[in-house]
Amino acid sequence: MTPTVSASGLSLRFGGTQALDDVSLRLTSGVTGLLGPNGAGKTTLLRVLATAVPADRGAFTVLGYDPATAAGRQEVRRELGYLPQTPGFHPDFTAFEFVDYVAILKELTDRGARHREVRRVLDEVDLADVRGKRIKKLSGGMRQRVALAAALVGDPGFLVLDEPTVGLDPEQRMRFRELIAHAGEGRTVLLSTHQTEDVAMLCHRVLVMAGGRIRFDGTPAELTARAAGRVWSSTERDPGAKAGWRTGTGSFRNVGSPPDGAELLEPTLEDGYLLTLDDAGAEVAAA
Amino acid sequence: MSAVMEATAPPVVRGEQRRTWAAVFALARFEARELLQHIPVAVTLLFYVGYTGWKLMSPPDGMDAYPALQDADRATQTAPLLFAIALFVCVNRAALRDRRRGTDRHFDVLVMEPWRRTAAHALSVVPFGVLTALVVGAQFTWQALRPGAVGHGSVFELAVAPLYVLLFGALGLLVARLIPSAFAAPLAVIGLFTALLFVSTGTGGAWTRWLSPVVGESSSSTLPSELIGRPAGWHALYLGGLVLVAALAAVLFAPRDAVFRLPRRGGWSRSSPRPFGALVGLGGALVLAVTGAVGQSGGVSSELAAARERASVAPEKEQSCVRHGGSQYCAFGEWTGRTGTWAGVVDRIQALAGGAAADRSLLVRQRIDARYGLDGDSAIAPSTTPGQVTVGTRWGGNRVPEFAVGVASVLVGGDEKKGGELCDGRVVTVMWLALGGDPDPVADLKNVRLDDSLSGSAVVLAPTSSLSMSAGQTDVVRELLVSKPRAEVTAAVKSHWAQLTAPGVTTAEVARVLGTEVPKGADECGK
Repeated sequence: MTPTVSASGLSLRFGGTQALDDVSLRLTSGVTGLLGPNGAGKTTLLRVLATAVPADRGAFTVLGYDPATAAGRQEVRRELGYLPQTPGFHPDFTAFEFVDYVAILKELTDRGARHREVRRVLDEVDLADVRGKRIKKLSGGMRQRVALAAALVGDPGFLVLDEPTVGLDPEQRMRFRELIAHAGEGRTVLLSTHQTEDVAMLCHRVLVMAGGRIRFDGTPAELTARAAGRVWSSTERDPGAKAGWRTGTGSFRNVGSPPDGAELLEPTLEDGYLLTLDDAGAEVAAA
Repeated sequence: MSAVMEATAPPVVRGEQRRTWAAVFALARFEARELLQHIPVAVTLLFYVGYTGWKLMSPPDGMDAYPALQDADRATQTAPLLFAIALFVCVNRAALRDRRRGTDRHFDVLVMEPWRRTAAHALSVVPFGVLTALVVGAQFTWQALRPGAVGHGSVFELAVAPLYVLLFGALGLLVARLIPSAFAAPLAVIGLFTALLFVSTGTGGAWTRWLSPVVGESSSSTLPSELIGRPAGWHALYLGGLVLVAALAAVLFAPRDAVFRLPRRGGWSRSSPRPFGALVGLGGALVLAVTGAVGQSGGVSSELAAARERASVAPEKEQSCVRHGGSQYCAFGEWTGRTGTWAGVVDRIQALAGGAAADRSLLVRQRIDARYGLDGDSAIAPSTTPGQVTVGTRWGGNRVPEFAVGVASVLVGGDEKKGGELCDGRVVTVMWLALGGDPDPVADLKNVRLDDSLSGSAVVLAPTSSLSMSAGQTDVVRELLVSKPRAEVTAAVKSHWAQLTAPGVTTAEVARVLGTEVPKGADECGK
């Protein structure tokens, strides 16, 4: 499949911190999850791909446009929908006005077509009933959906979502998953999140970042498979486990290198993620 | 992990062609609509339009019914000042909205660059300038359509209000770009007004007063439009230049794209962060503003000073005359249509007079003192030419009975100078002639007296010299106007004309002849 985004050797240093370290990736249509601990470089990577900040080294293209040139950057931005980690709002605007404002900044000029598009995306995020309501009167989840509508307006080919489900209650998170899954139909979505369930349920592909580098690039099933044979049950916490916790049944679930004869359990994507991070940590320590 | 970058999918052409400048205009429309929802803008605009509409719809009173269009154009200039200040503050707020709400970093990655957004903010003020122009146009047209209107307005004077509305909006934007703080706008408004106060009054009211957007005049007199000598065209050029300077400077000081705020990295190109066209435009706008400022500071030309001198000292050389009935009426070109109205007053007064005065041929001449332009008011010396009556450039309201007093005093005294010196019983005759045929004589008696009184002594206004009425004369005139039948008094005046207009006739004699109560202490002439 032809990639929408292709990046090679992206590196970026902020002061003494290597935020991105030789990152290369290819993103194709569908939802790609980006997992990683705090400070892993996820937001920095998203900001670079969203053309908010240039990398020190490396290059990338979005739908064939190179943001290193001013004209290319404009074209990338035309194809971009970006939901930042903490989106700002104009509280006195209605939901419709805010999305309309963003649509104008995306240079959708025909008033009738633009208003139809704004209504479409507000319908898509299930805010049709409150589109005339001022943003300051909306709940946190609704505001987050307004921000998603703003990212979706103009039908961008590349959607960058930075932790869109943070702070949402479980019901809102489920609703958001539906929206993101729908958004991923026919376009490329890069979803940064701490929620492994989101990745398991939404993504056809997952990237794991740590220390500014990509430590894993594969399908969720492949990430899960990394933990195959490395998750076991015991009556006490196994001192040799990388992580272990008491489950609701009273037994301990351990992740790491199981002792001989251990009762192995079915691994989850979170187990694979934890072990990937652990391996990355070991690699960094060894270096 | 490293890999060679692969070829990606070819550029996709999307359904809608997005045009950059069309987007700027779309944003300008959006921002204009938002501005209209700001309470200060909405309230002051409503007040401006409502007040102007109310003034237009109100039945014209007094001098309002006889506007001189060369004054009416300037009268449009001050009303939208509050609206302009509101626009200054609200455009400033709108321009700082993204920064205040923390959306600027997010919106940095949208297609429209910050400088284009600033241009849209500048353009968002234009509808308010157009609206002001429409209100000003309606206000002026309404005045011009009044049957009593005379003179010519200046399109440059009419342009002042829309231009300074635009200027204040653009300045609000510029302040937002130079000092991105919510506190800057109120402080800037105070600073701006202090500066304007300084330039308009602090330095003696010379050429610096023309640096202020609205330049008022200390004189309330009306001059023929060709003698006004206000550099309205240069001033409009100056204001227009300032509008462009403020708007283009704001565009040039617009926040930079995120890429330009950071150290140069990764070989990313940094296409011109400051649009070259705006830089060139700013240079041109500065030239316009400076040219206007220099042009408007030129002062009064020798040709204009000579024309003013001629019109003041020898108006007959500048005027055309027409005859109505037995009298001649000479007026400056813009007032020739009003001679019939003056003739109506003269005819009414002569209809009450007796003897030769009833048929006397008068010369009604318009006289002005234009030597100081609109810098000050000066009284016009009374004429010593027998039978000549002065009429001013304003009409309606108190100017009508004042003119009537002037006409009557010439009929009784012989000329204006002598008429102004009357203090014996002839004052009663003058006042009866002036007001006796008036539809509302008591109100006009009150209006024509300096202290608006109906009793006691008072000064009576006239186009040149004023007339003094003693308390006794006031009592007699009031009784004549209020209590005595007009026909009876008219008959008595006509039959005793020689006695009533004889020098030295006492007020008591006049009262006796006209059948009113003889006031105590009526003969107070000269006291």
